[in-house]
Amino acid sequence: MVAGVAAEAAVADASGSPLGKLGVGIGWREEIDLSIPRLPGVDWVEVVAENLHTEHLPESLLDLRERGLPVLPHGVSLSLGSAEPVDTRRVEHLAEVANALGAPMASDHVCFVRAGGLDSGHLLPLPRTREALDVLVDNVKLTQSILDVPFALENIAALLEWPDAELTEAQFLTELTERTGCLLIVDVANLYANARNLKVDPEAFLDEIPLERLAYVHVAGGVERDGLYHDTHAHPVLPAVLDLLGELRSRVDPPGVLLERDDDYPTDSELASELAAIRAVVTR
Amino acid sequence: MNRERLAGQQAELLRALLAGGEIPAGFDRDRVEAEVIVLRNKRKRVTAMIRPDLRAALGARYGELFDVYATGHPRAEGTRAREDADAFGDWLVGQGELKPAKKRRWFLAARARERSSRS
Repeated sequence: MVAGVAAEAAVADASGSPLGKLGVGIGWREEIDLSIPRLPGVDWVEVVAENLHTEHLPESLLDLRERGLPVLPHGVSLSLGSAEPVDTRRVEHLAEVANALGAPMASDHVCFVRAGGLDSGHLLPLPRTREALDVLVDNVKLTQSILDVPFALENIAALLEWPDAELTEAQFLTELTERTGCLLIVDVANLYANARNLKVDPEAFLDEIPLERLAYVHVAGGVERDGLYHDTHAHPVLPAVLDLLGELRSRVDPPGVLLERDDDYPTDSELASELAAIRAVVTR
Repeated sequence: MNRERLAGQQAELLRALLAGGEIPAGFDRDRVEAEVIVLRNKRKRVTAMIRPDLRAALGARYGELFDVYATGHPRAEGTRAREDADAFGDWLVGQGELKPAKKRRWFLAARARERSSRS
């Protein structure tokens, strides 16, 4: 478990993170690839690994690399909570992308995507049981053995919950990091969604998760519809989500914060003002 | 640890979410139904992005026909997004909702025949 050990040693370091200081970033998407270099205050980008082929990396992304911006790959399809065997070709692809980008780490989500021959195309919640945690831990260890860089996992937004939970989400994530040495990406918009839809106590969540294992934070927009909050990444970031970022900031200085926008792209100035709002919350 | 049992539970939930299967015991029915719509709309949006021609051809009926199609044809594991979108296009042709796409080669051959018959 070379990656896990390396991550652990670095976390113990005074810098507090294996990544150093990333700063404020934005999710790189083809649709806004020409806007990103023009936006003020973009220190780094994250890119969806499944959208890249290492032989044909987009010029606009390589330009950012050449300008010295860290580019971190983020997986959406590993389905590491699946009880069916890990598709190691997907992990190998993530490893190749991380290496091609010279990335300091790679990541995916605490979720499952596929089962029984069906593909949901979406990040779905796991049962918070010992059994499901054991499966996830095994799958994460296998993933870490394939990757050459530290691995992080992100909390997802869920609309539904499995019955018979044995652990809170915070307990589930804490044990996951303890048993695998993985890092965490905390998505405060997902946390907000779960607080709204599933009655998770967001402050208790932030109190209980191991923030010393925080890789970085995600921030995104969403919308309320029919009494449910939907994490769309296609609407503005809510003030309440920035408040949660502030709650996190009062507990830890995050190594990085990243704005995710995936659809209905706003003007450059609107993206810039969301980035500035994020920076204002984390800069003290 | 019982991987098989968990695999079965996950498959059962996905059948409920994607293929009109029974809602597994213990789940909140309203939330499962809300998730069904979210997943179907996401697939619909991705399909429209990859095959804008289908949405353009169907106009306002795009969403309605996609909904009819989706539950009976959940996306199979290993299917790429483009294959999934194309499968909807093929289904529309099969249902008589769209005419088969003219193949360029066929078109050129027909035009050549037309030219030669005129000469």
